[in-house]
Amino acid sequence: MKIRTGKAVLLFAASVAVAAWAGSAQAEGELHVMNSGGEYGDALDKCVNEPLLADEGIKVITESPGGFAKLQAQAKSGVITNTTTDGSTGDLYRMIAADLIEPIDWTKLDPEPMFDEARNEHGFGAQYYSTIMAWRSDAKAPKDFAEFFDTENFPGRRALPDYPEFVLAFAAMGGGMTADEVAEGIDLDKAFETLERIKGDTIWWQSGAQPAQLLKDNEAQYAIAWSGRVIDQEGVEHSFNDGMLDISWWVVAKGITDEERDMLYKWMAAQSNAEKQACLVEAIPYPGPSPDLASLVSEDVAKNFPTYPANKDVQWLINGQWWHDNAAEVERRWNDFKLNQ
Amino acid sequence: MRVEATSTQDAAARVAAASSRPRRAERRWELLVLLMPMLLLALFVFDLPILNTAYWSITDPATGGITWRRFGDFLATSSYGRVIWRTFLISLEVTLICVVLGYPLAYWATKLGPRGRMVVLGLVVTTFWVSILVRTYAWIVILGSAGLVNRSLQWAGLIETPIAFLYNELGILIGMANVLLPFLILPVFAMMMSVDKRLLQVAETLGASRMRIFWTVFFPLTVPTLAASAILVFILSLGFYITPAVLGGGRVPMIANMMDLLINRFARWEMAAVVSVVLMAITLSLYAVYQALRERRQ
Repeated sequence: MKIRTGKAVLLFAASVAVAAWAGSAQAEGELHVMNSGGEYGDALDKCVNEPLLADEGIKVITESPGGFAKLQAQAKSGVITNTTTDGSTGDLYRMIAADLIEPIDWTKLDPEPMFDEARNEHGFGAQYYSTIMAWRSDAKAPKDFAEFFDTENFPGRRALPDYPEFVLAFAAMGGGMTADEVAEGIDLDKAFETLERIKGDTIWWQSGAQPAQLLKDNEAQYAIAWSGRVIDQEGVEHSFNDGMLDISWWVVAKGITDEERDMLYKWMAAQSNAEKQACLVEAIPYPGPSPDLASLVSEDVAKNFPTYPANKDVQWLINGQWWHDNAAEVERRWNDFKLNQ
Repeated sequence: MRVEATSTQDAAARVAAASSRPRRAERRWELLVLLMPMLLLALFVFDLPILNTAYWSITDPATGGITWRRFGDFLATSSYGRVIWRTFLISLEVTLICVVLGYPLAYWATKLGPRGRMVVLGLVVTTFWVSILVRTYAWIVILGSAGLVNRSLQWAGLIETPIAFLYNELGILIGMANVLLPFLILPVFAMMMSVDKRLLQVAETLGASRMRIFWTVFFPLTVPTLAASAILVFILSLGFYITPAVLGGGRVPMIANMMDLLINRFARWEMAAVVSVVLMAITLSLYAVYQALRERRQ
């Protein structure tokens, strides 16, 4: 009996030790990051993380998905495991407001040439992407968002993003605002009036791959989707007209060590390289911030970029400051709308 | 050790010794050691986090003091109550569907031969082997606008435009009933098999019709199990997340989806904690009813 108990105590002690070891501080040379995963995550592994391990000996460990809530969770718990996450412009401003991220020392980061708008005081602009309209080839093509939300003359179900940031501006245009006006700020009354009007014909999507699939399966005839997900899909048409151009940012989590920051900066700097960006766009057509990227890819690839002149000219850039200033109001009204359906 | 010492005694004495007090104490120790990993796991990974959640629901993150303000907010915001009410209605509907479909199926299975029974139960149990996510997505293939059912109906000329099975409450009901049926069928079937056949024979010799035998003898004997299983299905329904998210098209949020919105989108943990405390209180009360029914049956 004594022996058995002794053994059990030993076993228990061993298991505690194992648990402690597993949860211990990360080893040197390991960089923990969060990203949105999927094809983009795989492409990052191939184009950025593997070369970084070979060149600098930095092993990148990825967790997906990331986002504002996860970064806030680790800040609250006090254990800063992940050094960064990707986020939209709205996310970036929310993270600044919640004091979750630190400013970037651009002199120290020392990237290769980048477009100015991709160098934010708090964010490294990694990719340009757009939120645009798409529809089935056999459905009547809408020319703007007033027509897109006109369910009488353009009958059919709408697949809409289940994210206020990616749908409210378009809904406001469906209620009569112009693209120039929503780029300044959104009239929430108009936006929610439109959504109330069409909610019976709506399917809400959460994952970026859904809208194209819903269109192909004929579950929905019209969709608002991220550009990379609906371009070059069979049976799916799209238009950049009045689309929303946005930048996906990397941030620097508050509370990381100096060693981690050094590694993170190296990882970001690697992504400012035009050739690495050319490798990334093979997986998903969201161009990086290098002015040299356009010359490295073929015209066929470049014309699908949200930043291609013909596409960029008809779009507007999301106003992160407006989203930051109106976050509480948006949250309250979105909750009310979504939960009272 | 005690057993070796008494090895010279006869078998009967040995049995008596085995149940003597020191031996029982040793057993208790062994039991404790065996249970320890499970107890520790439940305590640290389950119970303490739940208590922590309950604590969050009543603390003010700014001052660290205790506040009931958020429960006031909860009551004042109609949408929370509405989602909880809707979740209850859907759970009730799912439970009714499971009872109406499951009870006759279980009854029918008891009438089959041993081989037929094995096949039917095998088919019911197989649904446990397929991941809930796969099963939920499979419904899209079957019930979608261009899915098997709609295409067959259109081909047969019964309908012209596809029926909207998905992305509404109907889709959620179908998906949830599919997942939860085995939880009702299996216990009810086991109960039906254990019903004393002589009671039915007695009723028959006394001249009762088959209908009468079923309704006055057989059915009342199975009601406690049916009720307990139905409550189990109801409780499980309350926490469904994937099915409403996938088959409801984001249009019919249930409690779990609302918590996802609060936690992952808006990072409002304290409010989510309040919702989960309310849900837990309701679930535990229902579980108490379930236990009471079970004990009455035994």
